[in-house]
Amino acid sequence: MSNAQSNTATNTPNNAIKIQMKNIGKVFETEELETHALQNIDMTIYSGDYVSISGPSGCGKSTLLSILGLLDMPTSGEYFIEGVNVTSLSLDEAAEIRNSKIGFIFQSFNLIDELSVFDNVALPLRYSSEKPTDAQINKRVNECLEMVGMSHRTSHKPNQLSGGQQQRIAIARALVADPAILLVDEPTGNLDSKSGDMVMDVLEELNNKGTTICMVTHDPRYADMAKTQLKLLDGAILQSPKVAKSIRD
Amino acid sequence: MSQFIYQQQQAWASLKKKPGFVASVVTTMSFTMGALLCVLTLAYVLLSKPLPYPEQDSLYTVEHNLIDNNGKIDGTAYTYPNLMHLYKNQKAFSLSALLYIDGDVLLSQPTHPKMQLSFITPEWFSLLNAKMAVGRTFEQSEALDTYNPVAVLSYNTWLNEFSLAKDILSKKVNFSGVSYQIIGVLSEEFTEPLLYGPGLKTAVFLPWDYNSVSERDRKAWGNDDSGLLYLAKLPSASTSNSSSKRSPKQLEQTLTTLINNNWQENVAGREFFTNWGIGIKVHTLKSVILNGSEKTVYLLLAGVVGLVLIACANIANLFMSRTAEQQRQLAIHAALGASKKHLFKTLLAETGLLMFISIVIALMVASGCFLILQHFLANYLPRVDELSINTFTLSSAIVLVIALALFFARLSTNMINYHALNATLQSSGKGTGIQVSKNIRKGLITSQVAIVTALVFINIVLFKDAITTINEPTGFETDNISWLVLSLPSDKELNRESKIADVAKVRSQLLALPQVEMISQSRAPMAFSTLAATVFGTNERFSVKAKDVDHQYFQLINQPLIEGNYFSEADIKDDNNILIINDVFAKQLAPNGSALGIKFKSGARVIGVVKGIKIPDTSEIPARFYYPSSPSRNMMLVKVKAGQTLLRQQILNTLQHVNKQFNLFSLTTLNERRNSRLFTQYTTFVTSGLLAIIALFLAAVGLYGILSYSTQMRRFELGTRMAIGAKRKDLIMLIIKDNAKSLILGLGISVLLLLALYLSFSEYLISYINVQLVPVCLFTLLLIGIISISACYLPLRPFINKPAINSLKGSD
Repeated sequence: MSNAQSNTATNTPNNAIKIQMKNIGKVFETEELETHALQNIDMTIYSGDYVSISGPSGCGKSTLLSILGLLDMPTSGEYFIEGVNVTSLSLDEAAEIRNSKIGFIFQSFNLIDELSVFDNVALPLRYSSEKPTDAQINKRVNECLEMVGMSHRTSHKPNQLSGGQQQRIAIARALVADPAILLVDEPTGNLDSKSGDMVMDVLEELNNKGTTICMVTHDPRYADMAKTQLKLLDGAILQSPKVAKSIRD
Repeated sequence: MSQFIYQQQQAWASLKKKPGFVASVVTTMSFTMGALLCVLTLAYVLLSKPLPYPEQDSLYTVEHNLIDNNGKIDGTAYTYPNLMHLYKNQKAFSLSALLYIDGDVLLSQPTHPKMQLSFITPEWFSLLNAKMAVGRTFEQSEALDTYNPVAVLSYNTWLNEFSLAKDILSKKVNFSGVSYQIIGVLSEEFTEPLLYGPGLKTAVFLPWDYNSVSERDRKAWGNDDSGLLYLAKLPSASTSNSSSKRSPKQLEQTLTTLINNNWQENVAGREFFTNWGIGIKVHTLKSVILNGSEKTVYLLLAGVVGLVLIACANIANLFMSRTAEQQRQLAIHAALGASKKHLFKTLLAETGLLMFISIVIALMVASGCFLILQHFLANYLPRVDELSINTFTLSSAIVLVIALALFFARLSTNMINYHALNATLQSSGKGTGIQVSKNIRKGLITSQVAIVTALVFINIVLFKDAITTINEPTGFETDNISWLVLSLPSDKELNRESKIADVAKVRSQLLALPQVEMISQSRAPMAFSTLAATVFGTNERFSVKAKDVDHQYFQLINQPLIEGNYFSEADIKDDNNILIINDVFAKQLAPNGSALGIKFKSGARVIGVVKGIKIPDTSEIPARFYYPSSPSRNMMLVKVKAGQTLLRQQILNTLQHVNKQFNLFSLTTLNERRNSRLFTQYTTFVTSGLLAIIALFLAAVGLYGILSYSTQMRRFELGTRMAIGAKRKDLIMLIIKDNAKSLILGLGISVLLLLALYLSFSEYLISYINVQLVPVCLFTLLLIGIISISACYLPLRPFINKPAINSLKGSD
């Protein structure tokens, strides 16, 4: 059983709390079966943190990440993003929070084939309620592509890029709306080791510049790169966090 | 063979697992193909099938045109003397027959049925190669001026009135007091050419000499009668030399000279006919029988082909979805060594089986449609009696099955990337694998929208036009009014005075019935003759629609008087030489003043002007006049009190009570007569409305199917967009925007289709083109718009109304 203290990443009181989960549970029900995917999850992620969540298949990693990213709703408990309770938002309210506060990076990149690299990255800004101008979009997209080293590929289509390049574009897209946290789901799962390493380097660099990251991975090498490692088993957080950075230091 | 049976068994086993798919395909295809087979067979019978007569291309009818001094055709019916002159003196045809149609009551039968009679010369049977079931046809002994009272029955008359009595040739039929010995019955297989219009089938054939044209009219060079017809045959190619062969134009010239010269001699000195003339036109028998119904056939064909195209687009979509669903099964076949050809055969077995089941049901549907057409449209469409599942229908059915089975199988095969099938097996079923290309999807959307928009627009225009015509005010009442025609004995059998007295008794006894409110001894409001009228003093000549009415007529049908007076009872009794004219004729007679008091050369004087009435299904009100009817007139309009009816038996009892020789020839209500005239409009109203609804329904299902499939294909993309913050409205707008191009392209193509249709048939369609089309157009666009937007939105609902994770499941 985990507790708030033990599941708190980079326990630095000076840093602002980005994410806070209190006693989160998720139950999937069918006519005959009730599956407890998550149970009593307490977790706090501070600004600038880099958290990895790992565990065996079916332990609830992806479910937890879905709830963190407001892609799914918990069955019980409370969930706060930057102090705002987001536990029971409507679908459109959740979409707005996802747009402004959360950046997603998926295992299979999930870039839209018909859109150019530029348009893929600009997409979150097009859905933004702040309605940025084209000039603002241009500027921000180019900054993000610059950040991931892909500014020379703006007019390419995703299928003209390698897997590693596509994931870097996905990272740029996740960053473009300046989210409170990046949620990363098995970012290297569809990549060869070289490309995977490059992507992980980009993530680390982003974290070093202050981006808060929460990553699901089953690869212990990459889990170790996080400042805080959470392990899930049967829907519950199993192990106390480890400050990876200090170990590496 | 065993391989074929095996494939069919496999296909059946596979299809049995998908009853919903089978039901959708079979229902859609059987009904649309049934309708297609019915219309194709109708088109074949009307447009291509030869008439069942020998040398049918040599058979002609000869039309007689009375041309006025302005060169306009005043009438297309024969005057009796002109017809006789043609029959006796023409040399252009090798054989010709006279024909006159009339109706009478069969007095020799206890039920006194009304029968359709044809008075013919013996050549009629030879021209049509009429075969007999019993007895003989008319021969020289029944030729012109032989006055031999014999009769030939149609097969149906023998069946219905004489129960196929073996001793039929020993029986007689009695019409108007003349007893005719039955000498023959036409064969059941014989098809009579219906020259007076569809549905007017002859029950009894009588010799020409006994036709009911009056002695006076037989000598009248100016009175035409639409019952008179002339059927003739050109000499066959083998018997005529090249110099005697004439083109239809030359034939018309020859016959015009023959008839016109003789006519001019006989009307010389009659001022009314100065500068008038006769023109002759010849028409092939086939064109007369069809009587312009080709237009109806083409419209029906266009409508049903449109429906079949929409249905095919829908079914194509279903087959593509099914192929996408079958990818794993196909991959296993491929892994076990099935070539692309094998896979095509597997799919063809399924499509073939489905199309075969559909066509079997379609043939039943077509048979049902034939019965409906024969029951409801026999009086309006020619040759519908000949509709049946024939060789043409079966050949069309076979062609349709093969073509559609191959088309759907080819379409499904084209979706399969044979070399990528192996990947399907390795992907553990994640993702959709086989996908319908974006271009095919867009093409399907565009074609659906184009066809349905054009079809719905045309049908709404027809629907609206039919409603407008049906609801157009006629200017007279038709409710609670019946029109009865009495069959009275001839003047030889009952003298005029006694007849007048007995008719008056009938009238007063009918009026005494509690439900009867008013009676007028007049012709029906919608029936007119054409009479000549020359204004006294100015000598201005008019050829005007006219009829005889009594003093109650205008009040009974509520036709308003504009100025002057109605006829009085005394006017009718004294047979005063006076007229009532309608406002159209009044305007022609006195454009700037009153027409009251104007006199005609016949001595008749105008005493009243009534408002013109509009005959249903006609576009304008012609000039008309009304003159007093004779007290012995055998026609009566009877108005009953609201909600009450006049029974046929009550009339028969009254007639028998007054005079046993009196019979009821016909009894119809004015509403029945009005509806009969508006039958085409009612048919158009129902069929266009139904077609529009079916087209919209099919399009809605089709568009939903395609867009549902497209949306399903984009599930992960939608999930991704939701994950990065797209709201529901953003996604709805995205789908609408993405499909807008195809939808707008479809609308554009439909406009082009309609334009092409207009340019091809502008002379028929010009009357439909007006400003009122704008709201129809907007309404059509609104309907298509609602369907399209619904088709975009509804498939999206399961994704956008659930948490984003539902759409993203399986994306990795």
